[in-house]
Amino acid sequence: MIKLALDGRLGELQRLANEVERFCREQGLDDEVRFDLNLALEELFINALRHGGCLGMEHAAEVRLALEDYGVRVEFRDRGAAFDPASAPPPDPARPGGLGIHLVRSIMQELEYEREGEWNRIGMRRMVKPT
Amino acid sequence: MMELTQEIRSGWCVVTVRGRADAETADDLEAALRAALEANAKVAADFAGLDYISSAGLRAVLQAARAAGERKAEFAVCALSPPARRVFDLSGMHHLLRIESGLPC
Repeated sequence: MIKLALDGRLGELQRLANEVERFCREQGLDDEVRFDLNLALEELFINALRHGGCLGMEHAAEVRLALEDYGVRVEFRDRGAAFDPASAPPPDPARPGGLGIHLVRSIMQELEYEREGEWNRIGMRRMVKPT
Repeated sequence: MMELTQEIRSGWCVVTVRGRADAETADDLEAALRAALEANAKVAADFAGLDYISSAGLRAVLQAARAAGERKAEFAVCALSPPARRVFDLSGMHHLLRIESGLPC
């Protein structure tokens, strides 16, 4: 399992990617799983920075990854404005925005959301084929 | 981290993109593609070395495609890895772009 705290700045993306890569290497997960974990976490983190007010905030978000029987259990928490990606409207081609959350919902399963005090908590799973 | 290089081959300006097209590097990608389109009538983005792309990277590519349309230039997105290709497909952007399995030159 890995647990990671992120400050509210773009430069944290590379560190997040490095940690996801290390987790996947240690757990024997392939490039496609690594790609999808990076994508879901980046989209949620950037959404919290750009729309949730987390830009410039110390300890703005937390990530947990754990390999379970049927896939990778992912938890993303942020201290931004309340936002439920599971019930966000689908993207409108005529307007910018919404694409990142659409991608998260397309590649991840069992998306769930709750507000815990000042934190958004988003839980989800990336299924992994048994080897 | 992203590496961008550019060369002319058989009438095409090939912009080779390696590494990650994410929210941190998307502006550099869009600027490189726009600069290539300003100087060339045919531009191919070679994504064979692209490890990763997010919605920010997709938007950079789409903006370049729009710029190409305005200039009546040819713009092709080439050699996407299977996970990157899937992101283009999920976004619906594959309908708006010329996507090639290999380079056109």
